[in-house]
Amino acid sequence: MATATYPIGGLQTPAKRPALSEYFRWSIDHKIIGVQYMVMAFVFFIIAGGMAMLIRWELLTPAIDLMASGSSYNTLFTLHGTMMIFTWIVPMFAGFGNYLIPLMLGAKDMAFPWLNAFAFWLIPPAGLLLIAGYFVGPAEAGWTSYPPLSTIYSPDGQTLWALSIHLLGLSSILGAINFIVTIKNMRPPGMGWFQMPLFVWATFATSIIVVLATPFLAGALTLLILDRVAGTTFFNATAGGDVLLWQNVFWFYSHPAVYIMVLPGFGILSELLSVHSRKPIFGYRMIALSSMAIALVGFTVWAHHMFTSLQPELRIPFMITSFIIAVPTGIKIFGWLGTIFGGKIRLNSAMLFGLGFLSLFVIGGISGMMLGSVPVDIHMHDTYFVVSHFHFVLFGGSVFAIYGGIYHWFPKFTGRMLNERLGKIHFALTYFGFFFTFFPMHMVGIAGMPRRVAEYDPQFQNWNLLIGFSAFVLGFSTFVLVYNVFVSIYRGKVAGANPWRALTLEWQTSSPPPAYNFVGDPIPFEDPYGYGTDASKAYLEAMEARFGESFNPEKPKALPPTTPTPAPEPSAGD
Amino acid sequence: MQRDLLELGLTRQEQQALQNKRAGIFIFQASWILTFVCLIVVNWQMRFSPNWMPDPNDRLGVVIATIATAILGASALLVRHAVKVVNNQNLSEFLRLWLISILLGGIFVVLIGYEWVIVPTGTQYAQVFRVMTGFHIVHAVSIGIYLGLVYVNGRKRVYNVNDYLWAVEAGAKLWYFVLVAWLLFYVVIYWI
Ligand code: HEM
Ligand SMILES: [Cu+2]
Repeated sequence: MATATYPIGGLQTPAKRPALSEYFRWSIDHKIIGVQYMVMAFVFFIIAGGMAMLIRWELLTPAIDLMASGSSYNTLFTLHGTMMIFTWIVPMFAGFGNYLIPLMLGAKDMAFPWLNAFAFWLIPPAGLLLIAGYFVGPAEAGWTSYPPLSTIYSPDGQTLWALSIHLLGLSSILGAINFIVTIKNMRPPGMGWFQMPLFVWATFATSIIVVLATPFLAGALTLLILDRVAGTTFFNATAGGDVLLWQNVFWFYSHPAVYIMVLPGFGILSELLSVHSRKPIFGYRMIALSSMAIALVGFTVWAHHMFTSLQPELRIPFMITSFIIAVPTGIKIFGWLGTIFGGKIRLNSAMLFGLGFLSLFVIGGISGMMLGSVPVDIHMHDTYFVVSHFHFVLFGGSVFAIYGGIYHWFPKFTGRMLNERLGKIHFALTYFGFFFTFFPMHMVGIAGMPRRVAEYDPQFQNWNLLIGFSAFVLGFSTFVLVYNVFVSIYRGKVAGANPWRALTLEWQTSSPPPAYNFVGDPIPFEDPYGYGTDASKAYLEAMEARFGESFNPEKPKALPPTTPTPAPEPSAGD
Repeated sequence: MQRDLLELGLTRQEQQALQNKRAGIFIFQASWILTFVCLIVVNWQMRFSPNWMPDPNDRLGVVIATIATAILGASALLVRHAVKVVNNQNLSEFLRLWLISILLGGIFVVLIGYEWVIVPTGTQYAQVFRVMTGFHIVHAVSIGIYLGLVYVNGRKRVYNVNDYLWAVEAGAKLWYFVLVAWLLFYVVIYWI
């Protein structure tokens, strides 16, 4: 049997984990920044999740009882939505990107390390601005901030809200510039565009959307702030202003933005499904290019959010584009099904969340198509059906991808494995909690329960009880993960460089990686998903020889703590 | 040619860094110009407002703006020339050209600022006009300040003309951005 040999440099022992204090300071190391992003985003996730719990508590009964007034309810769902989107999902994916992209490309860091840190440090003040709204009367116009609600009927917190989103937008533009340049310029020799891991492709496509769409958000927010503080009347119909101006510009940003929120999740999914089915990804090029197609077509569908406010003649074109955009998404779904089909599937926590994503996201996609057809949307608009739709894509999709990504890369980030049993409990609670929270919303939505209102018709109460209690289960499930993370950081099994026997470059270095990521130049395998071939086995063996044995989840055997004994340097003929 | 020679003197890492910066600034420009495009969209949508321009005489004439545009154009051309000169290692000539460009930029800002003040208010036209020109002036002034810093550093001989001067290249590129953004606005505000 021909064995491929790979030149290998010196041996490498895992780097020590950085001191905790490193994470609370300005740092330009992409790994530190990545963790800063992720941990901060998770904190916002918990806060915004707490708000969701209060929302569901209020909705246990048809009357308004928990809240002092409708206004405080408005505030809750406004900050819940805003924080989940802008301070959780978007920065969380930026955290994965920051940590993983340079590693996957075999680079020492991002193209602009200083800019990277700067982009991160814009976020904490932005989060504080949102929360500071509570001292001046918080925003209450929803995350979509439609005028005139957001202009003449909102307290000063709305201005802080807009400033905060401005900062977050700037942060994501700077981050995206960094990703694009890193991916374009810093690939290692031997890695062409079509040898990049799909997570890198997804981040690339996402970043293109960010740089093209976010400036429109900046424009819209500027006008909103001027209307609120400088006496302009862009959105004030009595002075010849036009509220549809906001809707147009906002959705021209925000529909593409929903792909900002899910494309990196698609990327994570591609990694998970291929590694944990031990099979090459099915239709690599189609999956890579469909991200780009989604990025572009995503700019043509915005008015499907405005079917009820738009001139009727314009509805049909937007309905057609909304259907077209389902095609590249469908291509991905089939690519993923083809990937797992016939694979040697490992049903570990990472993979379970991957499969969970697949099943739930498809439901969200289908309800999206339903809403994309004008006759349906005219009835469904602003009902709980819409709430169900976007939670299926954003929680069932993005958040499941994030969870899967955490189980998958935690060993790389920390050098320790997460506890599998707790992981499975977390998955079961999340999956069923999620399903029974959000699926029944289809029913109440079709029956006409409006969104964003604290009181509802008593006929919906039984459904809302089911939804509420499932939501509490879902909320609780988060803490299983938090507990698992805390315990495993200190007590988890030592992971070693490559516990999943994955082929992408982030695994071809110790866990956690040393300063500047690689000792010597890393050598990418010719195909990031070429599992199951002799060449890939030879590659993995060469890497194991170099970095020492990794934890093997299939044949668990504890590795010695901290420093795995490095195997002797392989000599020629090995 | 000279410029390429200077760049050839860079190490591989420095070359990579330079390439990154060039790509970065290009993407930044491509992205940020869209904020200007966004305001053009606003301008266009507000034209449908009943309060757009009830009295057609409110529209400002093109004379001052055209002079300002010509001045900004000249300024950008001088900047371009200055970059060539500095790459030929002629620092004093560079400083002279750079200073003139900044002063021309200052005249541009004053002229457009004058338009901002005199536009008859009370209409959507005036409001959009002020936001567009004001937004542009903010960019012209901040980038102008950056050009000023480059000038001051040049005077203080912070730069060594034998090095490749990214600060100069970046300043020039940002100043072109100011010009391109203005040309878009100029056509939309004054001619369409
Ligand atoms: C197959 C593709 C999709 C189609 C055709 C589609 C269609 C729609 C439509 C028509 C609406 C407006 C409903 C209404 O307000 O009446 C909507 C809302 C929404 N969609 Fe989708 N969608 C799709 C995929 C996605 C994805 C992938 C995401 C996010 C990752 C997403 C996130 C959202 C959000 C957040 C809203 C609610 C916006 C709000 O608060 O009003 N959608 N979708
Ligand atoms: Cu949409």
